[in-house]
Amino acid sequence: MTQQKPKIAFFDFASCEGCQLTVIDSLQTNLELLNAVEIVNFREAMSEKGQDYQIAFIEGSCSRKSDEARLQAIREQADIVVALGACAHLGGVNAVRNRQPLEDVRTYVYGNKADWYETYPARPISQVITVDATIPGCPIDRDEFIASVKMLLQGRIPKLPETPLCVECKLLENQCVYTMGKVCLGPIVRAGCKAICPSFGDGCEGCRGLVSEPNMESLKQVMAEHGMADQDISHKLDLFLTYQMMNLENEEPK
Amino acid sequence: MGFRVMPKSAFPGWVEQMLQTYRVVGPRKIRDRYMFDEVNSPGDLDLTYSTTVLPPKKVLLPQHEELLSFDLESGKMEAAIDTQPTVLLGVHTCDLHAIRLLDAVFEDGYADQHYIARRQNVLLVSLECLSPCTEKSFCKSMGTLSVTEGYDLHLTDLGDSYAIDIGSERGQALLELTENAQPATDADYSRLNQTLSDKWPRFPYRLESDITELANLLAVSYDSDLWEELGEKCLGCGSCTIVCPTCYCFNVIDEVDFSLNAGSRIRQWDGCTLSQFAVVAGGHNFRSTNQERQRHRFFRKGKYQMEAYGLVGCVGCGRCAEACLVDINPVDTFNELSRRRIPMTRRHKEVLP
Repeated sequence: MTQQKPKIAFFDFASCEGCQLTVIDSLQTNLELLNAVEIVNFREAMSEKGQDYQIAFIEGSCSRKSDEARLQAIREQADIVVALGACAHLGGVNAVRNRQPLEDVRTYVYGNKADWYETYPARPISQVITVDATIPGCPIDRDEFIASVKMLLQGRIPKLPETPLCVECKLLENQCVYTMGKVCLGPIVRAGCKAICPSFGDGCEGCRGLVSEPNMESLKQVMAEHGMADQDISHKLDLFLTYQMMNLENEEPK
Repeated sequence: MGFRVMPKSAFPGWVEQMLQTYRVVGPRKIRDRYMFDEVNSPGDLDLTYSTTVLPPKKVLLPQHEELLSFDLESGKMEAAIDTQPTVLLGVHTCDLHAIRLLDAVFEDGYADQHYIARRQNVLLVSLECLSPCTEKSFCKSMGTLSVTEGYDLHLTDLGDSYAIDIGSERGQALLELTENAQPATDADYSRLNQTLSDKWPRFPYRLESDITELANLLAVSYDSDLWEELGEKCLGCGSCTIVCPTCYCFNVIDEVDFSLNAGSRIRQWDGCTLSQFAVVAGGHNFRSTNQERQRHRFFRKGKYQMEAYGLVGCVGCGRCAEACLVDINPVDTFNELSRRRIPMTRRHKEVLP
């Protein structure tokens, strides 16, 4: 990076925009960040729409044909593209529909206006354009966002944490939620969220995505031993991980 | 130096005295589990605790620790050395054995100034275990159910009083903070003897082989089929190594502020059962499967540490067994290896013409 402040931009696709809200929230407690960068495009937070930027943060999944051109235009402009949050990273909850026939889903949501709306199976943005870095989570973790921005400013590319969530839970000395009669995806999901769900007594739902070598079969067996039926296990894995699970199963979207 | 005896009624007053000068860390009950944590008053302590999620190791080697701060602009760098006088109270004997191993490791070769500074300022007050803390513990098999050294003071619960063995001059000075510790009488000694002989049968031997055999058992089991079976079950979650009192592997990262010129160098715990632990520059992973990583873990516990430091690498606390969702544990692993061991005579016959 040169002495000039890098120009950064935020864009959204199919998402709830909660990750961008987390960014705005992070800025309130990290005002130095506003001195370190120049934000030129951030629909959620300002009206200006600059098209000259070096780092693009993209929230949301690619869920229709017309998204592709917009993604490609961002890719052409930006030196660095960062996927922001579970939808951009994994397809997120949007990908739950990928297991169901698209026509059924469209009719369910839009009724007799279904034909008016363009849609197709939701995908991570990395399936359309090259993504340089990912900040995972639903929503993203604010400290991880700040740490990632610092790395980008240093000219480094932040890497996804490879440790499973269990490590973080143990470091915090949380009681394992399995001992409370609940199930948790912690052993196969990336850490980095400060184990926020288990810290409040709930099992991990997997919003940060699978570690690179998840032992799916063994964890499914653990969940079954804790009283879950096969179908419940599949549903648990499909909240945030549908896209990854269908890839592992070599399943095509319907 | 001889034992002292302190009535339990005097114990809170003694801890109050400690709190005047020391940070006191001991077992506290927080919701449904126990943790070693700083205590603000004697009532915070619960010396009847079973076991803790993390061992007291975290007082000497914190999970997340600043090693140094730096400022590239001024070129200044400063080591972060923690010398806060601390009493680590209520340490079970297994954990005390583990600290002896950590001492040996961190003093070895290029001594770790951060660990050593902390260690020199920590007084260890250990506690005799009178019944097994959990079903998973196997301290008796590992020879860690008692201690004869390594503590500053060692407490044994005699019902209405504590028998206190003084292990060091620092321990003696700590005990002098109270006027209520009197030299043990003949009657006290006889109660202490009775308590110690009563406790022994309460603890089961759970290993089917002797610990002195472990290193050899592992040596002949390197190619055992068991590792593949464990590898298939292992979730690779890393919990076993994170909760272990004798694991000390760590990673070092730099954290910077927004100037990008100043920041801290941070040490954080790592573990050999994690998938990326043995990845080196260029991307090669020297232990790329769960199977290899579990084998390595058990070799560390039963063989490598014994060879390097003459101290057992597993103290039988049972924390890893408690933490493992797929029930991989040292007792079953070592026992199964023992059952599957090919007798030496048969091996020789196969190898020799």
